[in-house]
This record gives sequence, structure tokens and C-alpha cells, in this order.
Amino acid sequence: MAEQVTFAIAAIGALGFGIGVVFFRDAFRAAVSLIGTLLSVALLFIVLMAPFVAALQVIVYAGAIVVMFLFVIAYLGDRPIVAGTDRMDAVQPVAWIALAGVAAFGAITVLASTIGPEYTASDTDVGSPASIGNAFLNQHIIAFEVTSLIMLIAAVGAVILAKRAVMLEGGR
Amino acid sequence: MATTLAWIILLLPLLGGIALASWPGEPPRAVTRLIGIGSIATAFVLALAIFFTMLGNAPSDRTFTSNLYEWISIGGTSLDLSILVDPLSLMMVLIITGVGMLIHVFSAEYMEHDRDYRRFFAEMNLFVFSMLLLVLAGNFFFLIVGWAFVGLASYLLIGFWYERPSAVAAAKKAFVMNVIGDVGLVLAAFLIMRELGTLDYQQAFARAGDLGQNSGTALAVCLLLFVGAAAKSAQIPLHTWLPDAMEGPTPVSALIHAATMVTAGVYLIVRCHAIFQMSELAGDIVAVIGAITLLMAATVALQQVDIKRVLAWSTVSQIGYMIMGAGLGAYSAAMFHLLMHAFFKAGLFLAAGIVIHALHDEQSLNHMGNLRKYLRVAYFGMGMGCLAIAGFPGFDAFFSKDDILATSLAAGPVGVFCWVVGVIGAFITAVYMFRLLFRAFWGPDPKGGYAHAPHASGLWMAVPVVILGILSVVAGWIQVPFGWTGITDWLAPVLADVKNPLEPTHAGEWLTIGFSTAAALGGIALAWWLFAADPERRIRLANIARGPRQLMDNAYDFDRAYDDLFVEPGRELGTVLLDDVEPAGPKGLITGTTAVIRDTARVISASENGLVRTYAFGIVAGLALAGVVLAIVVAGAS
Amino acid sequence: MTVPISAYLMLSVALLVLGMLGVIRRRNPLLLLLSIELMLNAGNVALIGFSRQWDDPAGQVFALVVMVVAAAEVVIGLGLTVAVFRSRMNLDVDEMSSMKG
Repeated sequence: MAEQVTFAIAAIGALGFGIGVVFFRDAFRAAVSLIGTLLSVALLFIVLMAPFVAALQVIVYAGAIVVMFLFVIAYLGDRPIVAGTDRMDAVQPVAWIALAGVAAFGAITVLASTIGPEYTASDTDVGSPASIGNAFLNQHIIAFEVTSLIMLIAAVGAVILAKRAVMLEGGR
Repeated sequence: MATTLAWIILLLPLLGGIALASWPGEPPRAVTRLIGIGSIATAFVLALAIFFTMLGNAPSDRTFTSNLYEWISIGGTSLDLSILVDPLSLMMVLIITGVGMLIHVFSAEYMEHDRDYRRFFAEMNLFVFSMLLLVLAGNFFFLIVGWAFVGLASYLLIGFWYERPSAVAAAKKAFVMNVIGDVGLVLAAFLIMRELGTLDYQQAFARAGDLGQNSGTALAVCLLLFVGAAAKSAQIPLHTWLPDAMEGPTPVSALIHAATMVTAGVYLIVRCHAIFQMSELAGDIVAVIGAITLLMAATVALQQVDIKRVLAWSTVSQIGYMIMGAGLGAYSAAMFHLLMHAFFKAGLFLAAGIVIHALHDEQSLNHMGNLRKYLRVAYFGMGMGCLAIAGFPGFDAFFSKDDILATSLAAGPVGVFCWVVGVIGAFITAVYMFRLLFRAFWGPDPKGGYAHAPHASGLWMAVPVVILGILSVVAGWIQVPFGWTGITDWLAPVLADVKNPLEPTHAGEWLTIGFSTAAALGGIALAWWLFAADPERRIRLANIARGPRQLMDNAYDFDRAYDDLFVEPGRELGTVLLDDVEPAGPKGLITGTTAVIRDTARVISASENGLVRTYAFGIVAGLALAGVVLAIVVAGAS
Repeated sequence: MTVPISAYLMLSVALLVLGMLGVIRRRNPLLLLLSIELMLNAGNVALIGFSRQWDDPAGQVFALVVMVVAAAEVVIGLGLTVAVFRSRMNLDVDEMSSMKG
């Protein structure tokens, strides 16, 4: 029962903050709203017996990534979108229909397909750091290495972009 | 031994040509002369050695073949790089190297002021090699190789002065005409290969009977061979290139377009006499074409004012005699005339070369006169040559032309026709040759005199002319009616398989001697009356027979007819293709393809509008569509 | 009493559609990136849910990989946004269309 209540709270939180992300005009508020979503999702992870991922969700996502967003938002300031017609206006209705279609598609798929066995309530340690580390190094070593490569590329790209940006402003 | 020497003879001019062509920079003239003339002279000496070796053998033992290597062997037949050395090919080799050597010596001085001295000798050596390959080849394949090579060398040498558009045009014309002949020859070789199963001379001739006497196949083979011969030997209707070929340097005209290459057709017919024996009709056709050519060319020669063109038409006419003889079956007489013609025509050309050289490239008879006072050597060479070609008793053509004519008389009705044409031709020959002699060397100086006094030639040019002049009078005595038959005896081993050899009758001999002597003397007398006795007479008579003379002047309009028949339609076809077909067809296809691709790309690129959110929308829409499809599938399955 | 796995999946679908909506609606590149984060999280929820269902750590492993990708993407995305902003002084993805065909 406690699990269902927790799930309900977390799900409502995730969706509610998510709606905030999408609909807040102010970028700062949207970013803060995203933190709410991320924390709700972290809660869901705990319910799903994945404490390690939940911890990383909080630390990396909420702690690092969103903070980076906030830095950039603060740096760029609050800039209103220049007035003018939205070039997507013409397709906006179609976009709504398509979105509704995707939502229906997802819902139908989830409800109509046989999902398999429900998990048992028993405790499990698949979410422990040891189990994840084992899985990473024993079965998913390529994914692990690709991860490091992606991070290297991202780091190099960020440096280059920053350097270009500085040079554009006449710095060295 | 003989064949080894023959291989060396074949290789010497080739090596000489290669050495000259690949010499870095322009070698010193002395070196060019040494290589260019030396290679030919050595070849001539070696040819003489073979000749005397052969003389030492019994007549039946004078044929040698040598196989350097088997080039292609397929389906039971083989193509060998082989040569055939027999009295016939050796006779040709002696002419090519001997006369060639004299002409090379002449060129040493004649071409001295030309900046492309080396190129000239390199190409001349190439020609001699090609011609030797042509006559020494032991099968039809290498005959064709040599045949094509002499065409190439002829092309190169006609176009030697490539700055002159007329020379380039003449070279092209000669090449195209010769290729027509090459095609005929190649087709003939195909037919021989199919019918007789071999391209080797001796095997093919031995099996020539398989073609069937007077069969259509035999006729086809003969006529195709004759197409090749006619193109090379400038017979109607493929003769128009030869007069234009006079654009080349005079020694080239002497060597290629008088003494050797243009007689290759005669050589071909004599070489293939075993095949021509199979079709009497083909022989008659060949003879009649030769007869028509000799008469037509002789009349055209009457009207020419360019000294070299007179000689060119005279060459066409004289080869007409040979072709006529060869067609009728008077093979040894044709070869006899070929040999004599090589001597006197080379002499005539070289003498004309001295004149042209002395007058600084002046070739028009209108600007000549009284040259005997200035150019004694040329006068000697030209005089001897004219007497020889006119058939003055005791001179070369008196024996050789009469041999052909007398033999013709024994060849039935066609032979009699040819005989009549030949005698008329002999008369005209005497007229036009002595017209040349009288207008250039007699009479007064040309109007306005000479800008520079014609300068006498040096030794290099004089010696060959004198030698050829002497040969013009002595060489004919090798075969004398009622006396001895040097050429016929020499060629007897080659012609041994002729079934009914033509023998001139005594009456025929006497008849021919009488008529041709009368024709020669009459022609000379007429020329003297017209051109020498009173130099003003020809001007007073200028209005007589204007129409026919105009026709002769235009060489019976063959060139214009070819223009109308082939060149103009071809050009119009090209214009139509270029203007109408090409823009719509290939070009339209290409521009159409590019236009379609460009338009498609433009349409597709409209979707690349740079709006990230539309891309995202595209993804979403795609997902939705996939959902619809899935829903339909699921609904259909349940 | 446990929560059925389909509930997690429905939540995942809802978050994903929400993210998509954001991507299509917002013109500010920063908010675009935020919406993408939302969609990535939707994926993570599903992954972790399946991991729980099958009692297999692989789902969690890939959730972590997704996080790394998200981090990298955010780094580059923000870097680009800043670079574009510096040269254009306008935060509108619709104006970043110089690569159009």
C-alpha cells in the first residue's frame, strides 16, 4: 500500500513538474520545475529498488546538469522571444494531432500487449552498486567504453566551442 | 643465309629510323646522312649479296622462307612472323633499296635547307622499312601490316611540311584513300582465311584451286585484293590522292609516289597471280580499269602546268600499264615495266627536283624555259627519262611497255582492246612528256626572266640523276624481243604455276614495235611542233577545244564528284546530327537528367528548412504513423 | 501489493509525450534542451521498470548510459546555445536555420 501511495505521489509530481517544464514561459522557472520532475523520478527509482541509479539521478541530473542549465540561464539573462509569427503555426494543429496519436499509440501498446510477469515484492539487490558494476564490467564492457568515449568527445567539443566563443568576442 | 641477310635488310632501315627519331636533339647533318643513307646503302649491298647467291642456285632453288617465331597459333592455323625471299620479292627489295639509296643520296642535298633534316630521314627510313616488310612478308597478315605502314609513312611524308594547309589536306586525303584500300585488302584476307584456311602465301597459293575456277568467291577475293591494289597504285576510281600527294618533298614523290609504294598494287597482283588465275573475269576487270586509268591519266597530264603534277599523272598512267598487264596475265612484263618505271620515273622526279631546287620552289611550267642552258644535269636526266618513258627505240619503256602490249595481243579480245588503248596512251605519253621537256628546258627564258639565275646542283644531287639517266637507257636491254628474256627467266620460278603463260607472238611483237615506235615518234614530233618549233604557237592555239581541255584540267571532275557524293552528304549529316539530333538526343538526355535531379533536389531541399522543431515534428509524426499502422495490424490480427 | 509494471510504462509514455510537446512548442533552445531531458527521463523510468521486472541489472546499466549521454548532450547543447547567442544575440531556434537546404 505504501508503495502504491509513493508511486502515486511520485507520478503526479513527475507529471505536474513536467507540465511546468513545458508550459512555464520563464526559462528559470522551467529549469526549477525540471528539478522537481527529476526528484520525483528519483523517488520512483527508489520504489523500483534502484537506489544507486536514484542517487546518481539526484547527484548528476538534479545536481550537475540542471545547475549547468541554471548557470547558462543566469548568464544569458531572461530574454523574451522576439515577437513575430511562429513559423510552426501552420502545422501546429497537425502537431497536436500527431502528439495525441503518439500518446494513444503508447497507451494502446502498453495496455494491449502482454508485458510479462509482474515482479514480486521481494527484496532484490540488482540495484546495488556492486551488481551494477559487475554488469558493466562483465556484460556491457563495450557500452561502458563507449560511454567514456562519448564523454571525451563532449569534453573536447565543449572546449572547442568555448574557445570559439571567446575568440568571437576578441579574447584569446 | 639468304633469309638471315633478308632479316638484316629488313631491320636496317628500321634501326636507322629509330636511331634518328630517338636521337636527342638534332644530330649533326653528317650523322643524319651517315645513318639515313648508310642503312639503306648497306641494305642494298646485302640485297645484292642475296641476288648473287640466288644467281648461283638453280632456278628451282631460289625460294627461301624464314620463320622468326610463331606469333599466333589457333584452330589449326598459325600466323608466323615469316618472310618469303624469292625472285619476285628480291626484285622488289633491289628496287626499293637501290632506287631508295639513290633518292636518299639526292635528298642529302635537296633537303639541306630544311630545318627538319633528321625527321625527313627518319621518316624516309621508316618508309623503306615498311615497304620492305610489305614485299618480304611471307603471309597476308604481315603484308597488311606493311601495307598499312607504308600508308602511314606516305601520310607522314606528304604532310612533311605541315605548316602548309594544302600539304596537310593532301596527306589526309592520301591516308583516307589508302584506308579504303586497306579495308579491301583486309576483307580479302578474311575471305582467303575462310575459304583456304591459311594466310600463308605458299599454302594459300597452293590451295588456290579450292576457290573454284571462275567461282563467285574467287571473283570476290580478286576484286577485294584489287581494291587494295587500286588504292595503293592510284587506279580509277581511287586515284585522286596521288596528284595531291605531290605536296610532299620531291624526293618523297620520287621514292614513294613514283618508284616504290604506288607499284605495290602491281606487286600484289603478281604475288597473288595464283588467285587471279582463278577468275578470268576479275583479271579482265583489272585490265580494263588499268587501261582506262592509263588513258585518262595521260590526257590529264597533257593539261597540267605544275611540273610535279605532270609527272604524278604520268605515274598514274604508267601504273595503269602495269595493272593492265598484270590483269591480263602478263606478269613478267608488268614487273619488267615496274622495274623500268622505277628507274626512269625516279630519274624524272629527281631531275624535276633539281629544277625546283634551282628555281627556289617554283613548280609552274609557265615560269620555266630554256633551262637546258642552266641545268645541264637536270636536262640530261629529264631528257633520258622522257625518251625512256615515251618509248623511244632503245630506251627502257620501249622494251617494257612493248612487252606488255605485245603480250596483251595474245590475250584475246580484251587484250586487243587494251593494246589499242595502250598504243594511244603511248602516243599521248610522248606528247605530254616532251611538252614538259620542251616547255621547261627549251624555248626562251620565261617572261620577265629568272629572278635568280638557276644554280646548278651539287654532286649529291647530280650523281643519282646521272645514274638513273644512264639506267633509263641501258636497263631496258635486260629483256629484248627476239633476243633474250632476262626478267621472265628471273621470275620463272615464281610464275611457274601459271597455267597458260602468255607468250607474245612474232607478229604481235612486230605489230607492237611498229605502232608504238610510230606513236612515240609521232608524239614527240607533235610536241615539238606545238611547243618547241614555235613557242608562240601554243598561245595562238589556246582557244582550241576549250571544253575538253577544261575537263582534263579538272582531272575529269573526280574530286568534285567525290565531294558531292561523299564529303557534302557527310558534312550535311554531321550538321544535322549536331544541330538537331544532338541537342535533343544525347545532350537532351544529359541536360534532362540533370534538370530532373536538380528539380527533385529543390523539392526535397524545401523540407530542409532549418527549423529544428519541424524536424522534431517529423519524428513525432512518423512515430504516430507507425502507431496507426501498428494499430491496423493489431486490429487485423485480432 | 505492488504497482503493476504497466503503470510505470504509462507514466513513461506520458512523460515522453510531454517532452515531445515541449520540443515542438518551445522556441527557446534552453527549454528545448529541458524538454529533451524530460524525454530521456521517460526512457529511464521504463528502463528501470523493466530492470525491476526481470530482476536484471542491465536496465539500470543502460539508464546510467542514458544519463551519461544526457550529460554530454547538455554540455554540447548548452555550449552551442551560448556560442549562437554570442554571435546572434537572439534565443530562437527558428532563427538558427542557416544550414537549411
